[in-house]
Amino acid sequence: MVTEVVLPMLGITVERGKILKWLKSEGDQVEKGESIFEVEAEKVTTEVESPASGILKKILVHENIEVPVLTLVGVITSEGEEIPEKYLTIAPPKEVTPTAMVPTASAEVSQAMASETSGQIRAVPAARKAAREYGIDLSSISGSGPRGTVLKKDVENSIALLRGEGAAPKDKETRATSLARRLAEKEGILLDMVKGTGPGGRVTKMDVVKALEIRKAPTPAEAPTEMLFGKTIPMSRIRRVIARRMSQSAFTAPHISFISDVDMGRLVQVRKEILADFEGQFGVRISINDFIIKAVGLTIREYPMLNASVDGENIRINPEINVGLAVAMDEGLIVPAIPHADRLGLGDIATMRADLVERARKGKLSMEEIERGTFTISSLAQFDITFFTAILNPPQSGILTVGKLDEKLTLINGEVQARQVTRFGLSVDHRIIDGAVASAFLQTLKKKLENPSYAFLQL
Amino acid sequence: MVLSKEKKLEMYGKMVKIRSFEERIVDLYARGLVPGLAHLYIGEEAVAVGACANLRDDDYITSTHRGHGHVIAKGADVRSMMAELFGKTTGYCKGKGGSMHIADVNIGILGANGIAGGGLPIGVGAGLSAKYRKTDQVTICFFGDGASNNGTFHESLNLAAVHELPVIFTCENNQYAISTQQRMHQTIKDVSIRATSYDIPGVTVEGNDIMAVYEAINKAVQRARSGKGPSLVECKTYRWRGHHEGDPNLGERYRSREDIKPWVEKCPITRFERLLLKEKVLTKAKIDQIKETVKKEIDEAVEFANNSSFPKHEDIYQDVFQEEMGGSR
Amino acid sequence: MREITYAQAINEALRENMRRNSRIILMGEDIGRYGGIFQVTVGLLDEFGPERVIDTPISEAGFVGTCVGAAMTGLHPVAEVMFIDFTTCAMDMIVNQMAKMHYMSGGRGKVPFVLRTNIGAGRGAAAQHSQSFHSFFMHIPGLKVVTPATPYDAKGLMNTALVDENPVMFIEHKKLFITKGHVPEESYAIPFGKADIKREGTDITIVATHALVQKSLNVAEEMSREGVEIEVLDPRTISPLDREAILNSVKKTGKLITADEGCVTGGFGSEVAAIVAQEAFDYLEAPIMRVGSPDTPVPFSPPLEQFYIPDEGSIKDAASRILAYQ
Repeated sequence: MVTEVVLPMLGITVERGKILKWLKSEGDQVEKGESIFEVEAEKVTTEVESPASGILKKILVHENIEVPVLTLVGVITSEGEEIPEKYLTIAPPKEVTPTAMVPTASAEVSQAMASETSGQIRAVPAARKAAREYGIDLSSISGSGPRGTVLKKDVENSIALLRGEGAAPKDKETRATSLARRLAEKEGILLDMVKGTGPGGRVTKMDVVKALEIRKAPTPAEAPTEMLFGKTIPMSRIRRVIARRMSQSAFTAPHISFISDVDMGRLVQVRKEILADFEGQFGVRISINDFIIKAVGLTIREYPMLNASVDGENIRINPEINVGLAVAMDEGLIVPAIPHADRLGLGDIATMRADLVERARKGKLSMEEIERGTFTISSLAQFDITFFTAILNPPQSGILTVGKLDEKLTLINGEVQARQVTRFGLSVDHRIIDGAVASAFLQTLKKKLENPSYAFLQL
Repeated sequence: MVLSKEKKLEMYGKMVKIRSFEERIVDLYARGLVPGLAHLYIGEEAVAVGACANLRDDDYITSTHRGHGHVIAKGADVRSMMAELFGKTTGYCKGKGGSMHIADVNIGILGANGIAGGGLPIGVGAGLSAKYRKTDQVTICFFGDGASNNGTFHESLNLAAVHELPVIFTCENNQYAISTQQRMHQTIKDVSIRATSYDIPGVTVEGNDIMAVYEAINKAVQRARSGKGPSLVECKTYRWRGHHEGDPNLGERYRSREDIKPWVEKCPITRFERLLLKEKVLTKAKIDQIKETVKKEIDEAVEFANNSSFPKHEDIYQDVFQEEMGGSR
Repeated sequence: MREITYAQAINEALRENMRRNSRIILMGEDIGRYGGIFQVTVGLLDEFGPERVIDTPISEAGFVGTCVGAAMTGLHPVAEVMFIDFTTCAMDMIVNQMAKMHYMSGGRGKVPFVLRTNIGAGRGAAAQHSQSFHSFFMHIPGLKVVTPATPYDAKGLMNTALVDENPVMFIEHKKLFITKGHVPEESYAIPFGKADIKREGTDITIVATHALVQKSLNVAEEMSREGVEIEVLDPRTISPLDREAILNSVKKTGKLITADEGCVTGGFGSEVAAIVAQEAFDYLEAPIMRVGSPDTPVPFSPPLEQFYIPDEGSIKDAASRILAYQ
């Protein structure tokens, strides 16, 4: 019997992997369940078990070659069995290029994968039509109908939100000067999102420039790096992955960022109040991050687009809300994720968070724990950083940054008061998330964090 | 019964025309020019012509799927018929009816009919209408031995009898309901005895003897015109061709060529020809002349059909409904 | 204005037209002395005599076919088939003869013929005397199918049927015969293919026929108190169908319920739903709901029969499904 050995699916978002080492050579006896090769995908090395017992007759993909998952990498036959001719004519892939044509096995499996990744947005036809006319991305709207169906009024609401008054359908064409139009086109600004100040509400070039300024996010802060002046250093494995992923993210997902100051006073107080009891009960010190993880999970529930990923021409709304927390290591960042952050209690979140962070630092995370994330939180609260923006962790569409807790003087009802404020930043993939949605998300999150007793009542 | 020489010549001419028309269809069908189903009347000409020779233009007939003979006998134009069989716009039904639905209400042809037994109630309706309008129009309902087992046969005879309607139910017993022989589809030998159930006259005649048909129908027509009600006339005959063109080998699945032979020998046209030659109504030369005239007429009909155009796609929506409104007077 | 019943309205239309037009004759079982099983033809034999009001044998194929032949030869007959269930005995005459004669003959023959019959359960008459398969006839090109819901409509539509030169299936509803309504004494005609908005509304369109028109109006009144404004549209003829009016209404409300007493599967409501899905897709704000009878034969036992008949509750259920999308 001939059994094909493939590069296995290693997690829902892993597309490619590299065989680091074959643990068996051609001609070796293998047992079903025995490890036969090591694969590195993203930042994790995994041992792959033999799918059958027999002779590893042929290795088709050699070490240090990256290929897509489900690629046929080897063939196992029974003892004494000849290998079918067709396997001998497959040219083994040599180069690590994303577009390299490689033989793939098992059409059924790849089809199953395809159907799993195709997402569908539920919306009534009238909502679809309105979205089309107004150039609104349906997936950016959370539906209020049965099973989250987007209703016509949902689209109308987000149009109102997006445009302020005087929204006009696309077919009526936003009135704009030709200069403004050209600039907007160049900068990728949606003209009808810009409020015109010219004659008859016409959008002028200045309006577009203003809009551009608002859109422009502050440049990301450089992470402190130890420099060895004058030396060329090869990237570590993890660094290579980070480099590839970050540039892929930065250059494929147009980022837009949003900033909001959150009054953390009540949350800090709540934490203080429950800290001791909590530790007694769960054996873990609850952190502000745990509250943030929970609040993010709950808020995503209201804004499913923040849980989405771009998949070709489709938008895949991920089924589970798994909130990742960026953990800094010497080699680079790694982001293990808390599964079902919207549903877990604070105790479970804290316990799990502590465990994940600890294992991350030891390099003991499983692929699944890293790959399952659908949204990322990156906190630099322990640094003296007021605010920063982050690059999306692909294929996720949203990343939340958390600055330090700051004492600020605030004018409230004419009185100066001291407040504990943290500045939050939200970067989203603008391909699928519009400003209004991102803003609404951030605002809802802010409300939750500022009113913790109310927000966490749903626990 | 004394018929004028002209009348007899006219009857003979119609028989020849039916035969020539049908023989031409055999060829045209084989060459794919006549689509669909063509049920040919060859061998049964004496029935249609003998019956219709009693009718005026304003009298009615309802016909069957094997209707070419009936409508030619009633006076239909072979050019319009041929064009209809070709599916052309110049056909009787603008190409929408075909062989089984030729109708010309102006000369009383209420339509051939694709449903066995379908024409009988309609014939009753024409009878009812004539009676109500107090005209002396009569209606001949043609149908076969097969249809005489259909419910509509009984319903129609009953209704016509109850209301004493001027309808002549004319059963063309060609001995087959498609492939099923008469003895296999009914226990009676003569369909005409069913008239007794409705207390109306019923008679069986030799259907290949045109004069016998003429005379039997003549009696029934007189009875109908004088308001005495319907009759049932059965004419025994035989179809030479298969049920339709394409019925393999003239119907060899259910009969042999030997079965057909005696009926070919009893050809109704030859039989009438002999009589007319004897009566000196016809001469050999006259026969040739008539056949030549008919052949030319059929040639012209084929040419006309060939030269006519097929309906356009948009014509499909025409004639679903009568457009005019405003009452039937 | 005076009030008369649905049956009296039809009787009046028949009588007036028979007085005007001597070509109109009536045929059917028990329509003379007996006055028709639902008393629609009562008194007509006395006025017009047995030549024009003809009691027939129990012979549906026979007398329906007779009407076709009579229509083709100058009369304008009106047949009464006692129950729509019995049209099956005359199906060849209706489907293959009456409906197609004009077309098959390339326009040479015409069949001005009104076939009256009735639908509706609710009289304990069980599966062969209670069906509502009128939509079957809208599937047959060449037939006009009329579905009056009120006495007013019944008279006006019959007046039109009797001047139409085409075959008309005039489908009455047996539970409506005794309902009363305002009917003018003078003659008036309601055109075919022209829907009637029985109640205006902005939130949901109900396209309703026959008895479900009134039931829809009842629901509309009730739900109006809750702030939901339902538009009730009665097509009045299901063939020709006023697609325009239906589409305009749905474009306004964005939501559609169809309410017709036929079995839901393959029924009138399905056709309307399909038209709307095809032609007004972009306007739909909620799923289309079809109210109709279950896909079973009509049961006899009273509680079962009552359960079978679509009513206000069925319409409200459909409305609440739709309102989830409000």
